[in-house]
Amino acid sequence: MKKKMTPYILLVPQLILGVVFIIGLGTGIIQSLGVIPAFGLTEPTLKYYKEVLTRPDLLQSLKYSLYIAFMSAFLATVTGTFLCAVLVSAGKVRGIIMRIVQIPIIVPHVVVALFIVNILSQNGILARILANAGLITDQQQFPMLIYDRYGLGVILAYLWKEIPFIIYFVIALMANINGSLGEAATNLGANKLQAFMNVTLPLCMNTVLSGFLIIFVFALGAYELPFILGATTPKALPVLAYLEYTKPDLRARPYAMAINGILIVISLIAAVLYYILLRRSTKKLAG
Amino acid sequence: MKKRIAALLLSTVMAFSLTACGNSAKTEKADNKETKQTTEAVEDMSFDEMVDAAKGTTVTFYGWGGDDNLNDWLDNYYAPRLKEKYDITLERVPMDIDAILSQLSGEISADKKDGDIDMIWINGENFKTCKENNMLYGPFAEELPNFQSYIDTDDEETNADFCFPIEGYEAPYGKAQLVMIADTAVTPDLPTNTDEFMEFCKANKGKVTYPELPDFTGSAFVRNVIYDICGYEQFMDMEADKETVKAAIEPALEYLRELNPYLWNEGKTFPKDSTALTNMYSDGEVVMDISYGAYSTATNIENGTYTETSQSFQFDKGTIGNTNYIAIAANSGNVAGAQVAINEMLDPEVQADRFAEIRTIPVVDYNKLNDTQKEAFDKVEIGKGVIPQDELLSKRLPEMPSALVPIIEEIWAEEVVGK
Repeated sequence: MKKKMTPYILLVPQLILGVVFIIGLGTGIIQSLGVIPAFGLTEPTLKYYKEVLTRPDLLQSLKYSLYIAFMSAFLATVTGTFLCAVLVSAGKVRGIIMRIVQIPIIVPHVVVALFIVNILSQNGILARILANAGLITDQQQFPMLIYDRYGLGVILAYLWKEIPFIIYFVIALMANINGSLGEAATNLGANKLQAFMNVTLPLCMNTVLSGFLIIFVFALGAYELPFILGATTPKALPVLAYLEYTKPDLRARPYAMAINGILIVISLIAAVLYYILLRRSTKKLAG
Repeated sequence: MKKRIAALLLSTVMAFSLTACGNSAKTEKADNKETKQTTEAVEDMSFDEMVDAAKGTTVTFYGWGGDDNLNDWLDNYYAPRLKEKYDITLERVPMDIDAILSQLSGEISADKKDGDIDMIWINGENFKTCKENNMLYGPFAEELPNFQSYIDTDDEETNADFCFPIEGYEAPYGKAQLVMIADTAVTPDLPTNTDEFMEFCKANKGKVTYPELPDFTGSAFVRNVIYDICGYEQFMDMEADKETVKAAIEPALEYLRELNPYLWNEGKTFPKDSTALTNMYSDGEVVMDISYGAYSTATNIENGTYTETSQSFQFDKGTIGNTNYIAIAANSGNVAGAQVAINEMLDPEVQADRFAEIRTIPVVDYNKLNDTQKEAFDKVEIGKGVIPQDELLSKRLPEMPSALVPIIEEIWAEEVVGK
C-alpha cells in the first residue's frame, strides 16, 4: 500500500504548481472570451478574437513573431548541432569547454539584451571603436543592428543564448551514439564524416528537432528581447499583448488575453509535434 | 523507509511554502487591524479625530518608482516627517500604475475590505478608469484643512484631470510641464514653433527624435505638436471617436510624416521611452531631449547628465502641463491615515522643501501663502538652463480629455511610424 502511494506523494509539489499554472491559464482564456465580472464584463463572446484577428497590425506582428522565432530556432539549431559535432569529434564533451558553454544558458535574457545594446547600438562599444579608429567617420554610420525591422538584434541575442542550449541539450546523446554506433560504423569502414552524417546525426535528429521546437516556442512567447531590442513597428505579439494589458482602460484586457490565446494555440501545435517526436525517438532508440 | 519520509516531508514543505507567501502579508496586516479604520467609520470624522485615529498606523503609498530623486525625498523627508508629527509610518510601494490597478481591481472584486493599498499616485486616464469603476474613496480632498487654505480652487487643474471632473476624489501632488532641451553650444537657435522645428530637424538630420508612443513623454510631445498645428480648443470637448479625432489631427499627422525623413533612423524606429532619449542626448547621439519635469534640466546639469550649456525651451504657443494627484483606494484599510498624510503633502513647508530639493513645480497657490512661506519658495535657486516659472506657467496648455489620448497613440502607430 505504502509503496503504491509513494509516486503520488512525490508528485504532490508538481501537482500544486501545475494547478496554479492551470488556474492562471484558465483565467486568461476566460478573460480572452470577455468575461471579467470585476469590470462589468459578463457575457462570453468571441468578439475580441475577431477584432484582434482583423486588426491591421496583428497580422504583421504575427508574421514578425513567427519570423523571429523561426530564424532564432533554425539558426541556433543548425549552428548548435554543428558545434556539438565538432566538440564530440574532438572528444571535448566535458570539462572546461562545457563549463564555458553553460555560461550563456544561465545568463538571463534581459542581461543579454543589455549586452547587445551596449555592444551593437550606434552608441555602443563597437560603433565607438570603429569611429575612433577612423573606419567610419561618424558613429551614425554604424549599421542599425538593433531596433531594426528585421529583428537582427533580437535574433542575435537569441542565438547567443540558444546555441549553447542546443549544444547542452544534444551533446550527451550525440557523444553516446558516436561512441557506440558511430564507432561501429567506423570499424565497418565508414570514414568519420560518413559515420556522423549517416549514423550519429540521424539518430540524434529527433532530439535536435525537439530542441528546435523548445526554442521556437520560447522565442515566440517571450517578451523581453523584442521589447528591448525590437523596432517601433512591427511589434512582436507578446509585446503587443503587454501594451494592451497596460492600457489604462481595464476593459481592454480581453484584447491582451485574446492575443495570448493566439500564442497559446501556436504553442500547443508545437507541443503536439514535440510529443510525437518524443514518442518516435523513444521507439527508435528502444527498437 | 527513510527516503520515503524525506520525500513526504519535502513535498509538504513545498506545499506550505506556496501558501505561506500569501499568508505572511496577511498576518502582518491583521496586527494593525485594531488601529485601522474602515471607510464607513471615517466618513463622519473631523480632521482632528482622523489624526488621533491615524496615530501608530501604517499608510501605504503605491506609485511609479522610476524617479530616484523623488524616492529619496519621500524616504528621507516626507516619511520621517509623518512619523515625527503624526506617528504614521509611510510604506512606499514602487509599482507601475497598471500593476497597481490590477491589484486594486483584484482586491475589490474579491471583496477585500481591509485592502493593502491606501494612497495611489495617479492621474489622467487611470484616474478616470478608477473613478468610473468605483475603485476610489471619496470625496475627501475638499475636507482637508491644507486643501482649503492653500489650494487655488479656481484653477482648472484643481477641478478637472485631463478634462475629467475630479469631484474631490484626488488631491494635487505635483505639477509637470513639457519642455524640450537642447545644448546651445551645439544648436544655438532653438525653435519656437513647429515650422522652425522642421527646419531644426533638417539642419540636424538624423539627430532629433522623440520617444515612441505610448510613452508618457512621447505621447505628450505629439499632442503638443498637434496643439501647435491644429490649436487646442477644439479638443477640449471632442468626442472620443477615432474618425473624428483622425480628421481633426490630419494636418499634424501630415507634418509628422513629413518630419520622419529628418529624424533619427529616418523615423522608422523611435527610442523606447524618455529615459532612452535622455541617454541618447547625453551621449550626443541626438541634439534634443524632451522632459515632463520642467525643472529637471537644472538637476540634470548639476549631476552631469546634461552639459552646462543645455537650455530648456518651449513653443511660443505653449506646452502641455498637467498635475498629478494622490487618490485613496476605495477599500483602503487606513482611510484616516491616508487623509492625514495627503493633507501633510499639501503643507506649504513640505511643498517648499520638495521644490528646493527636487524642483517639482508646487501645487500650492503662491498668493495664498504668508510672507515667511513665500520666502521659503523665493529663496530656492532653480538653477541653470530652465525657463523662469512665470513664463513657463504663462505658456501652459491644458491636457485634452484622457479618452482621446489612447486614440491618438493608436493613430500615430498606424499613420506616422515608418511612413
